[in-house]
Amino acid sequence: MTSAAVRQKQEPVMLSFGGQDFVPLLSGALYWPSQNALLVADLHLEKMSSFAKSRQFLPPYDTKATLAKLERDLTQTGASRVFSLGDSFHRDEGTTTLLPHDRELVTSFVAHYDWIWIAGNHDPSAHDLGGHCCDELFMDGLTLSHEPDARFAPQIAGHLHPGARIRINGRSTKRPCFVFDEARLIMPSYGVSTGNLNVLNPAFKPVINKDEMRIFAIGRDQIYPVSAKYLVKG
Amino acid sequence: MAKTTRNQSDSFAAAPDLFSQSWGLPPIVRDWFLSRNWAPRAHQLDMLEADRAGKSALLIAPTGAGKTLSGFLPSICDLAETPHEGLHTLYISPLKALAVDVARNLINPIEEMGLHARVETRTGDTPSSRRQRQRFDPPHILMTTPEQLALMLSHQEAPKLFGNIKRVVLDELHALALSKRGDLLALGLARLGTLCPDLKVSALSATVAHPEMLRDWIAAPCPQREVAMVTHQGGAKPQLSILASDDRVPWAGHSAQYAVPDLLNIIKDNGTSLLFVNTRSQAELLFQSLWELNEDSLPIALHHGSLDVEQRRKVEAAMVAGKLRAVVCTSTLDLGIDWGDVDLVMQIGAPKGSSRLLQRIGRANHRLDEPSRAILVPANRFEVLECEAAVEAAEEGAQDSEDPQPGGLDVLAQHILGMACSDPLDADAQYEETLRAWPYRELSRDLFDRVIEFVATGGYALKAYERYARLRKTADGTWRISHPKVAQQYRLNVGTIVEEPMLKVRLVRSKAHKRGATTGPIGRGGRVLGEMEEYFLSQLMPGDTFLFGGEMVAFEAIRDNEAYVSRSYNNNPKIPSYMGGKFPLSTYLAERVRATLADPTSWKVLPDQVREWLSLQRDVSLLPGKESLLVETFPKADKYFMICYPFEGRLAHQTLGMLLTRRLERDRAKPLGFVASEYALAIWCATDIGHQFKSGRLSLDELFSEDMLGDDLEDWLDESSLMRRTFRNCAIISGLIERRHPGKEKTGRQMTMSSDLIYNVLYEHEPDHILMQATRRDAARGLLDIERLGHCLKRIKRHIIHQKLDRISPLAVPVMLEIGKEPIFGEGRESVLVEAAEELMREATGQ
Repeated sequence: MTSAAVRQKQEPVMLSFGGQDFVPLLSGALYWPSQNALLVADLHLEKMSSFAKSRQFLPPYDTKATLAKLERDLTQTGASRVFSLGDSFHRDEGTTTLLPHDRELVTSFVAHYDWIWIAGNHDPSAHDLGGHCCDELFMDGLTLSHEPDARFAPQIAGHLHPGARIRINGRSTKRPCFVFDEARLIMPSYGVSTGNLNVLNPAFKPVINKDEMRIFAIGRDQIYPVSAKYLVKG
Repeated sequence: MAKTTRNQSDSFAAAPDLFSQSWGLPPIVRDWFLSRNWAPRAHQLDMLEADRAGKSALLIAPTGAGKTLSGFLPSICDLAETPHEGLHTLYISPLKALAVDVARNLINPIEEMGLHARVETRTGDTPSSRRQRQRFDPPHILMTTPEQLALMLSHQEAPKLFGNIKRVVLDELHALALSKRGDLLALGLARLGTLCPDLKVSALSATVAHPEMLRDWIAAPCPQREVAMVTHQGGAKPQLSILASDDRVPWAGHSAQYAVPDLLNIIKDNGTSLLFVNTRSQAELLFQSLWELNEDSLPIALHHGSLDVEQRRKVEAAMVAGKLRAVVCTSTLDLGIDWGDVDLVMQIGAPKGSSRLLQRIGRANHRLDEPSRAILVPANRFEVLECEAAVEAAEEGAQDSEDPQPGGLDVLAQHILGMACSDPLDADAQYEETLRAWPYRELSRDLFDRVIEFVATGGYALKAYERYARLRKTADGTWRISHPKVAQQYRLNVGTIVEEPMLKVRLVRSKAHKRGATTGPIGRGGRVLGEMEEYFLSQLMPGDTFLFGGEMVAFEAIRDNEAYVSRSYNNNPKIPSYMGGKFPLSTYLAERVRATLADPTSWKVLPDQVREWLSLQRDVSLLPGKESLLVETFPKADKYFMICYPFEGRLAHQTLGMLLTRRLERDRAKPLGFVASEYALAIWCATDIGHQFKSGRLSLDELFSEDMLGDDLEDWLDESSLMRRTFRNCAIISGLIERRHPGKEKTGRQMTMSSDLIYNVLYEHEPDHILMQATRRDAARGLLDIERLGHCLKRIKRHIIHQKLDRISPLAVPVMLEIGKEPIFGEGRESVLVEAAEELMREATGQ
């Protein structure tokens, strides 16, 4: 049977990690007030168009959509800096296949904001789109990198595209989420063409301590802190 | 009547006056009839006459009328009279098993006649070496499926292969014509008509509401051929009854548990019975309940589409051998394969449509001159009404009608690519040809050109993919494939059947039962029970129990592409049901049910308990009118309920429920939830909704006004997972994303995921893209029953009757019992998050 539930609105949620306060956004970005910075991970720009070489013509609009999302977040938060935590492009060639209006938007972004491209496994090479390219960023005691790495703590990373399946009373839902413990925060993937991986997947085991695992799931209108006891596989 | 084997004796009548006539048959065919003491039936001779007069033909006949052989008699006679080089007759059936079955039944007479004619089958199971050979050295008669026809047409040698063909025989056309497979077949036929303008098309169909539509369908590819209509009335009328049980018919539910002892007695008293149910889960439940009481160990088997093929074949073989007393089955046995002697058909749960009922009844007794016998077993009180309506309809031979829809654009995209693989494609000629496919007869040139663009480069407003094009326009103006790999891609993607991603279900030993081992791998290597939808399995917790393959099993884990389950000794399945094969109530029957309810003089046929129930409703509330809509409101347990009775089927009611709660939310009536049944819709609110209607703060007319199908519907569609699933099908059929191939592709769930993302992007950035148009058309038709809802809203306009009550009415009881009973799978649900977060807050604040 289908049944509809009534929505409830609440105050914005804060997320404290590594001695810093962050605001997790519905888009999957993290706003860092003390640095006036916006953190995003796994944009995967130009993912859909990368299928064209095998003659699968997926709509070439994902880049535009992801950039529009980013633009909204930047306007709303008033951030002056952007840290893009790797896999910003689905492949290195992505920086050359940008459609004209997408390229213009990226160019204006890097001109207006202090922009850091952290290298990811999909886009390891430095490029000349503007902004700064680097492998890792150390800031206010935090390490910002693409892949979660047990050697760094506290660390904010992306790469794994965390998602949580939450089950209560026999009903379940799966949402992208922020997952963190004392040492590491893994951001959800930001790009509109990305999927997610259940946080109970073994891939999270070496980098998130299951007993300390905390989840902020992304709902329709707000972020929900969720107890780990409701997590299920699938 | 002389009888050797059933098939033949039923297909031909006994010769009335030996040696007196030749029926116009060639000598070897006539002699064959005479040697068996048979005569051809009138409709078989009519088909022959039509063929000789140069006409196409449509034969409408009930099951068991020797329909298939009527299709081939003209071919046999022609081959006996005129030697033929190459392919003479192409036979197309919706099921490959049916193609194989028919080939078997045709080869015998041909051999006995000593006729020089080769008969072969070609299906997905045919070895590729033979398929290869068939393209160059075809048999005289080839039995195949719409998908194989599409594949053959995409090869370069298609003009040579089909250029000299005389006849096409379409079997069970009623089951194909209005589906996407029908669209594919229509396009293939149009191409055959181009390759071979002399073609005659013969189609065989069960009785349908609009035979003239099927006639036009087969006339379209060869417009110069007249179509002869041949109708065979069938023999005796079926004997239909409704189970009169001494036990109480329950208020709600679909399992008909109350009737199980009666069913066993009936099985005992008859030879072989088929027990048709509407869903696989009902089949499982019924099968189990029968065996619980089956003290005589009558051989009762189970047959449904999720079971392992081998297991199904075993059941079928046992059926044919006459070893079974009963088979519990779903629509997998609907189509005309001859599985042996069936004495009685029982329909458990209401049949949902009179055409389906007639088809199923036809399975009982393939002998034309004896009546088929069928018993209907209602599972709840509303179904008693529905069964009565169905019996009446069946006795009148009345058929449901399904409105034809314009052909699918995704199917057209697939076909166009196939045609370009065969030969450089001339857009003008292809457009003309496409109009000769009946579902596409009104296709605009503009839409057609957009489909070509889509096939070539994705059809986006941006010309982003020119350099990767699949089709390129050459100097002579024709479209050619850009690379041989394009043809390979096409051939892997042919067909319009897109399965839900399925997982094999394997029975293993439970962890818990393994001595000394509480962790470690689950034992592998058990037997495969069948397949189930991945989305159902992926939401189970280890230990959840459900019925499958007639056994109670407990879910253990998903490993690779298999779900492991173990035997469970639990009595009640924790997970009550899984989806698959639910039919909506046909409009036609719904109308009859409404008419019965509204007219107490017609209640005398109903069982006492049902009549009392309806009388009670009349006394404490109102009866739903024939053309009006009854809306009841009443308080119950600090909530306020609104129940309406549109009788339009669960799908339409669910859509209505979604839309009404949206509106009520906007009107600040605080709706809390809804539940839909086949007959009624219940919505509950936190505010006194009945009072608001009475005081005029809310208007029922406005609430139910047709414009909800505009903006509200659009809004809801955006969020609907149904829309996404439809898009996925269109994306696969049209070739936008690749079909999954066993052992090769990514897993089904990843594919679903990526098609969702594609949908989101396309919806936002090019909502008028050709594939979005295709999706909306499909969704409106198949999944949401929007058209039906639209008719309903139009009908009840200004005929809404509000009845404010102090408490629940008798008629409301069944739908109220549905509340909270069935979990729904696969929907994104915000309330789950809200609850989880609230729980955490309580924890955090120490409450």
